[in-house]
Amino acid sequence: MKQIIELDINDEVHELAVEPYDSLLRTLRDKAGMQGTKKGCDSGGCGCCTVLVDGKAVYSCMTMVMSVEDKKITTVEGLPSEGELDPIQQAFIDAGAVQCGYCTCGIMMATKQLLTDNPKPTEEEIRKGISGNLCRCTGYQKIVEAIQLAAASY
Amino acid sequence: MSTTNVIGKSITRPDAYDKVTGGKKYPVNYTLPGMLHMKILRSPYPHAKILSIDTSEAEKLKGVRAVLTPDEVPKKYFTPVYFVPYNAPSMVQDFILLSDTVRWAGQPVVAVAASSEDIAEQALELIDVEYEELPTVFDPEEAMKDGAPQLHEASPNNIAKNPSFEFGDMEAGFEDADHIFEGVYETQRAHTCYMEPRVCVADSDTDGRITIHSSMQHTFGLREKLAVALDIPESMVNVVKPTYIGGGFGGKLDIGFIEGLAALLSLKTGKPVRAEHSRGEDFISTTRNPIKVYLKTGVKKDGTYTARQIKSILDCGAHATHGSEVIMVHGLYGTFFPWKCPNQIWEGFTVYTNNMIGGGYRGYGAPQGCFAVESQNDEICETLDLDPIEFRLKNTHREGDPHPVLEGHKLASYKIEECLRQGAERIGFDKRQAAGSAEGVKKKGIGFAVHPLWVSGCVGFPDIYEHSGATVKLNRDGTADVISACVDLGSGQISMLTAVVAEELSLSADKVRIVYADTDTAPFDAPTHASRATYSAGLATKAAAVETKKRLFKAAAAVMEANADDLVLEDGKVMVKGVPESAVPMTDIIARAESPFIQVGEQGPAPTTIAEKGTIIGTASQAPPSNPSPVGAQFIEVEVDTDTGEIEVLRVVYSADVGQVIHPNSAEGQVEGGFQQGMGYALMENLQFDQETGACLSADFLDYKIPTAMEMPSNIESIFIDSHEPTGPYGGKSMSEMCLIVPAAAIANAVYNAIGVRITELPITPEKVLKALGKL
Repeated sequence: MKQIIELDINDEVHELAVEPYDSLLRTLRDKAGMQGTKKGCDSGGCGCCTVLVDGKAVYSCMTMVMSVEDKKITTVEGLPSEGELDPIQQAFIDAGAVQCGYCTCGIMMATKQLLTDNPKPTEEEIRKGISGNLCRCTGYQKIVEAIQLAAASY
Repeated sequence: MSTTNVIGKSITRPDAYDKVTGGKKYPVNYTLPGMLHMKILRSPYPHAKILSIDTSEAEKLKGVRAVLTPDEVPKKYFTPVYFVPYNAPSMVQDFILLSDTVRWAGQPVVAVAASSEDIAEQALELIDVEYEELPTVFDPEEAMKDGAPQLHEASPNNIAKNPSFEFGDMEAGFEDADHIFEGVYETQRAHTCYMEPRVCVADSDTDGRITIHSSMQHTFGLREKLAVALDIPESMVNVVKPTYIGGGFGGKLDIGFIEGLAALLSLKTGKPVRAEHSRGEDFISTTRNPIKVYLKTGVKKDGTYTARQIKSILDCGAHATHGSEVIMVHGLYGTFFPWKCPNQIWEGFTVYTNNMIGGGYRGYGAPQGCFAVESQNDEICETLDLDPIEFRLKNTHREGDPHPVLEGHKLASYKIEECLRQGAERIGFDKRQAAGSAEGVKKKGIGFAVHPLWVSGCVGFPDIYEHSGATVKLNRDGTADVISACVDLGSGQISMLTAVVAEELSLSADKVRIVYADTDTAPFDAPTHASRATYSAGLATKAAAVETKKRLFKAAAAVMEANADDLVLEDGKVMVKGVPESAVPMTDIIARAESPFIQVGEQGPAPTTIAEKGTIIGTASQAPPSNPSPVGAQFIEVEVDTDTGEIEVLRVVYSADVGQVIHPNSAEGQVEGGFQQGMGYALMENLQFDQETGACLSADFLDYKIPTAMEMPSNIESIFIDSHEPTGPYGGKSMSEMCLIVPAAAIANAVYNAIGVRITELPITPEKVLKALGKL
């Protein structure tokens, strides 16, 4: 049976009809119409679906939507502020860290938590910070460079 | 030629902004109103006859709109591989959408379309299939034996294909040898692990015409194969090109089951039907074919090859699919092409088993060949105490040599010596220690491998589509639209096509847009595969831009009252060569050409414009003129923990001749990403199956491990040798696949140098290292 819930996504309240067994990923993509969060494996293995819940990066495919009803959810759509890209987004463009781009949004969300908690991470800390996210195109090298670039402006 | 303002510089990728803000245009995001969702019931048995299928309960479930069983599918057998004609004689036509015999665990049996994914999934549980289990065989060499279970009637001993070549005098060649080396080299199933799942939305018109949005790597291949599968004329299918896709790497290079089944269900229901693979379904739908290579090589004391004998056994699984072609590319280009050996014999076997079907994967048979040959080359040098760089140079082709395969062509740009020498210098190869001589528990080692890339789909291989096409149109605001069927897999085709057109039309890159294309409106383009896009699609798009420029000059000649042959285009202005004051902005010329004959001015209507009228547009469709191979050498330093067997890659140097680099940032990205896949292939990746039930044991990322940022070395260094390919677009060649051919062999050789024991079976896991060291 569907239930009506209110979700705070990117500082905007969304009223959504969800099944109790729906994941946050499915809710975001199919019910809230926010397709920036990607489904890569739907089983907690790839990190494409990473979003922030109260500032912490989580796999939205492994997060039941009913468990985040009273929490703040941030997706890639919520990264820019006042019409400007977040420095992380700009750095991913400038460093050439985007190839197919399917993992990019999830990695940027993991980066958001990383740089919020630790604005000047070492390379080792950066690699650890995104180790829950798989990329098959870049070998991560330009992603690490992008995060270093973003960190310079944090 | 205009000044090089774009080529060789890293323009901002035109697709990057959209991708960092959410990426609206992935096929996985595509939906249509009223669309149904498809799910597939798959066989739990690796080999069985279907006796009966009862779908009555499923059909009663609320929300189920249609069910599709094997008897409703056209009985058309074809090859699903995109880059060849469906009935190409060099391929095996054994593929059908739904069959009453299942040959691998996971083969589709029934498809259901319902109003939601959940309902479709629930319906699968209500379908009752009665199977009669048949005997199974999972090992290709067992499958070749008399009396083994037979998978396809047309292929005795399960041999789907058995190509070979031979030249010289084998007996004399081996007699002439001072030393003979023999080895067996085995590779495993690896998955491309594209991040976006295979997905499609198929829609049908009332006249039976299908329009399909799909995540695949080839628009025209999908049109052809879908038409065959549905048994309808090709023109009854329109494939919309995805703006970009979430990775392919060859894993989306054949029609899967979802496109055909979704299209049939759309025809049956009159509704759009969407199908999306789960990650588990993706893992059992495409893979790099495992190949076992028996390799025997004769050499003189100084290392000169005298003879080589190779037998390669490829496990293609339940259907031949890419296995018909991978074996050929493996034999000819994975083992023969790079090396000069006067006497050679090679025989390949593509063998059916009850394993999953294979697919395309970056490198396409060459990584398996390179691993075998370069491992043995290393062994030869080690045993005979030869300088491994000089040994390679002694036995390989050099720039200017006749092409070893393509008659009438030569290796016009092929700087293999520079690749080897510069790579060796950068890593400090001359300081390499003797194999196994390092002290302590953690031992360091350096190794390398060198290999060119054969670019399929660019002249010279039977049955493979080669031509490309594009249309370039100038708009009145001074921008150019490019219509091309070339799909961007993430490897930068959008950037490359943009750069080529911007360069040719003297525009800044932000004035060029790669726009909507489908098979109804765009010229044919062979798939984005085999690293052919820069060379073939790049050249065709350049040719289209040249046509556009010709038309612009024709109109400009009328406007400027000049001779079109005297005109040049610089910085968005047309001018008479050498007369800068004659310059007219190209936007003015375009506007004049697009305006009405009679325009109303302050003085009333007047024929103020030129006679040359119409859109400034150019189209080209052409086959590429040659097939220039890039070549590259990879040097690697590893550290092996001899207590745990763990291998850490410390340093990577890739030194390559790819001709003129079109987009340096993207080129580096290919090297770095290719190494991630190659390191996974060398050290950890392995699709594993239960040897009794045939079930996949590693169908998710928790069990199928690929390198994360933590395992990757800190710096992968790219060296691009100064080179210019005379037939390429602005001197460019191709490169992507090459970056994944060498890593496994280079890592294996580095591991040998570290521990002094050679491992000849991929992946080189800690368990294998400890066994090799006698510690297990």
